[in-house]
Amino acid sequence: MAAQALADAAVRAGHHAQAFPYFGAERRGAPVQAFARIDSRKIRVKSQVYEPDLVVVLDASLFELEPVTEGLKEGGRLAVNTPLRPEELEIGEGTEAVTATADATAIALQTLKVPIVNTAMLGVLCRVQDLVPIETVMEAVQERFGEKLGAIAGRANASSAWKAYDGAVVGVASGKRRIARAKEWRPAWHEMPAGTSLPSATIDGVEVGPGSARTNLTGEWRWSTPFYKKDRCIRCLRCWWSCPDAAIDRLDDDYMRWNFDYCKGCGICADICPVSAIDMIKGVHRW
Amino acid sequence: MVRMTITANAAVAHAARLARVALVPGFPITPQTTIIEQISEFINDGEMDAEFIPAESEHSVMSVAIGASAGGVRTFTATSSQGLALMYEMLFAAAPSRLPIVMVNANRSVGAASGIWTEHNDSLPVREAGWLQAYVEDGQEALDATLQAFRIAEDARVRLPVMVCMDGFILTHTVEAVDVPERAEVDRFLPRFDTTNTLVPSDPMVMSPIVPPEFAMEMRYQQDRAMQASLEVIKEVDEEFAGLFGRRYGGLFEEYRMEDAEYAMIGLGTWVGAAREVVDQLRAEGRKAGLIKLRFVRPFPATELREALKDMKAVGVFERSASFNGFGPLYTELRSAMYGTDVPITDHFGGIGGRDITVPDVREMYEVVERRSRGERVNECTWHGLRGEQG
Repeated sequence: MAAQALADAAVRAGHHAQAFPYFGAERRGAPVQAFARIDSRKIRVKSQVYEPDLVVVLDASLFELEPVTEGLKEGGRLAVNTPLRPEELEIGEGTEAVTATADATAIALQTLKVPIVNTAMLGVLCRVQDLVPIETVMEAVQERFGEKLGAIAGRANASSAWKAYDGAVVGVASGKRRIARAKEWRPAWHEMPAGTSLPSATIDGVEVGPGSARTNLTGEWRWSTPFYKKDRCIRCLRCWWSCPDAAIDRLDDDYMRWNFDYCKGCGICADICPVSAIDMIKGVHRW
Repeated sequence: MVRMTITANAAVAHAARLARVALVPGFPITPQTTIIEQISEFINDGEMDAEFIPAESEHSVMSVAIGASAGGVRTFTATSSQGLALMYEMLFAAAPSRLPIVMVNANRSVGAASGIWTEHNDSLPVREAGWLQAYVEDGQEALDATLQAFRIAEDARVRLPVMVCMDGFILTHTVEAVDVPERAEVDRFLPRFDTTNTLVPSDPMVMSPIVPPEFAMEMRYQQDRAMQASLEVIKEVDEEFAGLFGRRYGGLFEEYRMEDAEYAMIGLGTWVGAAREVVDQLRAEGRKAGLIKLRFVRPFPATELREALKDMKAVGVFERSASFNGFGPLYTELRSAMYGTDVPITDHFGGIGGRDITVPDVREMYEVVERRSRGERVNECTWHGLRGEQG
């Protein structure tokens, strides 16, 4: 939605623009991608962006998992959500880029009361590009988010963008550590089972087929962890019903236990709990 | 072998019985219904050890067929027209899942003008669903092609579903003498159902999961290769069938009096019978006419047809399915196959909506083909038997 707001702002500023997400499985807590292109003429290409001029990183921990700056153009820039200064960042081997940083999570928590950092990061982005002014971005954010989430949320998101813009630090980030792209199974057509029928198997170290979800510990994706206050729980089972990953075990006495191997920290259980018996605590915990 | 005087629908039911089909989902639709009725009777009378599942729609019929085939049993069903249309979605699920289902489609016109009569506008539009499509000429071939279909579908090089198409009423409900083989003979031709692609609870597998773009293209290419491989398998199976039963259908297509032919007609279905008569007449008059009876539209035997037709002075394509402000599907495919040759080809629509096709009708069509080769101006596409001027 922030990528759309950026494209919207670019159009308002007289440019041609497009924005789209990665069209695939998207879940809260899992890494996601979105793309935007801005140009002075009509944009005809519809493919994903592989050589960006600018990369916005919504979670700095991604630098340890993914080659985030892969394909970044010579002279390309970064906007990163981190309390660190650009010079303190490790952005991957052989990369050096003008970078703006801000603690967007803190700003979002302050302005939106939730750690949704995308609009704040639009503000940070405005410090390292001059095609779209921050005022226009705020206009677009206010209108787009306002339409969908209500005028108050629209204003809060615009304010989030402004605060991040205002507080961002610009410097040069660089990196020495090599971040290898995880090995992915990309079989040739004759190596694939007919009809993509997969028995339980391990391919390139990754389990596939039935039961493979057991070994893919998606709890690693979590950045906040539900904390269960059993004394408050009225055993209504709503969290148990609502967990999209079936990561909440219902015990014999109808109290709950979280399975932190798979809990992605989406926070739906905390949202749905009628008696506030679940708190979301920042960070990856197990208790 | 027993010689019976039966309809093509009954012949097909016998084929399903002889093939030891284990599961038949069905939903009635004219003119197919008597196939599944006959199969129900076989099951009821203990002549066929199979489960019949009456489903609530054709969409469900194909869904059941997919489940049954994935469950590891030989599966057969039959449908027609709007029934095939209602299955559309599941046709596209069966083929990529590589399930060797065999289905007979009684060709009948689809939609309005509502009719129960034959037309090929039900099956030809789904020729990109990934199924093999065979078309038959008479009751004997209906039985034989259905038996062959199981062998072709289940061949490890193919593993694709096969649709056997036959003209509604004019074939499905016409009684003819049909040699019905003994079960032991068919057992020699058709081994036990066996695929690797089977869901077994004790050894589970994921079948046709959501396939992201990173894999879907390779999966489609597998389908393409399997369809390509079926060209040879069809020929082999027809040869083996001929060895066992003494009947041979030419594999992908039959050439009738093509040895020294200069003009050829090509088409599929019951029309071929009348065309044989016309070719005989013309030959008796000293004219060098020949005929190609196309048995398979998918796979389309492009290379083989080009070889068979490259020296013709003219070729006429007969289609029982119109294309609006366009060219018929067979014509389009044949033109592509013949690209680079200078053989003039004309397109001929006839028998639309089940209108009868007579010997003089076919003869009229042939005359257009010859006129074209003499350089006369004729329509690229002619509607035969149409009342009123053609623009």
